[in-house]
Amino acid sequence: MSEAFLEVRNASKSFGTATVLDGVALEVARGEFVSLLGPSGCGKTTLLRIIAGLTSAESGAVILDRQDITARPPHKRDVGVVFQNYALFPHLSVAENIGFGLRGRVARQEIAAIVTRFLELVRMGDFADRSVRALSGGQQQRVAVARALAVAPKLLLLDEPFSALDRKLRETMQMELKRLLRELGTTAIFVTHDQDEALVMSDRIAVMNQGRIEQLDSPQALYDRPTTPFALQFVGLSTRIFGEVTSVETDGTIAVTTAHGILRAQGRFARGSPVLLGIRPERISFGTQEGHNSIAPRLADIVFQGARVQAHFASTEDEPILLETSARLPADIAPNAVLPISWAPEDTLVFPRTADS
Amino acid sequence: MNRDRSLIGWLAVPAVAYLVLVYALPLLWLLARSITGPEGISFALFRDFFADPFSWRVIGNTMRIAGLVTLVCLLVGYPVAFALARAKGVVQVILLAAIILPLSVGVVVKAFAWQVVLRRDGVVSQFLVGIGVWSEPQRLLFTETGLVIGAANVFLPFMILPIYSVVKLIDPRLMEAGATLGVGPFRRFFRILLPLTLPGVVSGIAFVFSLAVSMFVIPSLLIGDRFQTLATLTGRSFLLMRNEALGSVTATVLLVLAVMIVLLSSLLARRAGRFS
Repeated sequence: MSEAFLEVRNASKSFGTATVLDGVALEVARGEFVSLLGPSGCGKTTLLRIIAGLTSAESGAVILDRQDITARPPHKRDVGVVFQNYALFPHLSVAENIGFGLRGRVARQEIAAIVTRFLELVRMGDFADRSVRALSGGQQQRVAVARALAVAPKLLLLDEPFSALDRKLRETMQMELKRLLRELGTTAIFVTHDQDEALVMSDRIAVMNQGRIEQLDSPQALYDRPTTPFALQFVGLSTRIFGEVTSVETDGTIAVTTAHGILRAQGRFARGSPVLLGIRPERISFGTQEGHNSIAPRLADIVFQGARVQAHFASTEDEPILLETSARLPADIAPNAVLPISWAPEDTLVFPRTADS
Repeated sequence: MNRDRSLIGWLAVPAVAYLVLVYALPLLWLLARSITGPEGISFALFRDFFADPFSWRVIGNTMRIAGLVTLVCLLVGYPVAFALARAKGVVQVILLAAIILPLSVGVVVKAFAWQVVLRRDGVVSQFLVGIGVWSEPQRLLFTETGLVIGAANVFLPFMILPIYSVVKLIDPRLMEAGATLGVGPFRRFFRILLPLTLPGVVSGIAFVFSLAVSMFVIPSLLIGDRFQTLATLTGRSFLLMRNEALGSVTATVLLVLAVMIVLLSSLLARRAGRFS
């Protein structure tokens, strides 16, 4: 990233005694699609509102396109917002909603042209004169996106715009929005608590927890190399095993003593440090293999998911050990069987064990 | 199903019977009385009434006072309705109590309070002299200004409550959405809030105007007999002058005026708010 198009510096906010944002910094490049992903209450919507100017931060700065907009009111920021409940104007038609921000700024004929263009872009051409109250959820969502984009904002913020839609429609709308934003080259920040949505749509994802950004990375990097236990747990499935480093070798391999025996991983940890091991379910396979971490837990359950099959093994930890494969399981594999499974040391993610992990 | 519906209809019978007996029949009698002379049906009473310049002054008084009272209630009540709708918890309860409780205090009791406020050495006079608006103390009691202040005080809740009930339903995010579309606060008000609150405003205007146009006790207490409105004139005709003919004419004129204003305002509102 040569130069940030949007930069949030050290943004903090608390409501009463609760700290909602704790010194958040974020840089977004022009044309980039960044998701803020986190559980409810992690501060992602507050960060969005601070960028839009709808909530004021206690400290920090927002810089957009080289201009410090920290003190500007929302209507002077050039930042569009698609609200979670769409917030369409109920007294106006679809076309009037889309043209709302244009009135008084561009000539009437031009408004009509822009409105028509955006109606087409969101495939709502036949609905121009309808009342927005008569629209379905997906249609309202389209109008909200068109309304926000019609004024050509420098930055578009989306606050869980798909959360009210059913799964099928949500997937369609995700693809449509992605295509539309790419066509227009719009820089966008997308708030969601749905990891699948974030993985599908984003150039980069900021995983937020307790008012902080835990990790900001591409979807693939986030999944393959989570840097914190929270990121590991929040994005994708994983098996967690606690242990203690008992030996450190010169090639960077560490041996960790766990309830499942000694497991090897790669990382820089001192002997005696408590660690958390994380393994993605598709990295674990049936059987043993030379040089791999092998354990033989008891099979607790088999979950058939169509394209994939998930095997749950009993663990000494509270959560099961998860194995996922796209292969079909042999018919003789049944719950309560004790089966050897294994995974490579380099597929073992290691985190320092902290109080909350 | 049909049987159920017809049974439900019967529940309205007590109210309908009551209204027909004590409201519709007397009103019809009153209207009939205004167009029946010694020689059968005649509009002579109305012709005489409208030929008299005094009548026009009375109509003028009535409309002016009712209009001013409605305007004051609207200007004072509109922001209050927002405060009430957006307030939370205890604040909202206190505001609501402050608005509704005064309704339980009779007008006559209030009149004593107004005397303290509106007389020459009253609170309003002292305040205005104090801040330099008036050079010397003035009496507001028994003036039109005093009447408007007093009447607006009584009718204010009837303006606030219908607007409040509409504001309560408006999503606060609509104004935020307007802002993020680059529209400033002033234009946001006129393009979002005003159209959306219009139904409440119209109900409020209809309530307050119809109450103010026909008020009788408040002008009697606050301004006296020198100042006549259609309502006080109707009262005097029946109670003092025993002139039922004049009374039924003024009552009819009053009724027609009030109904016209209320219908007109709701018609305008419907045209303004296409989708609401």
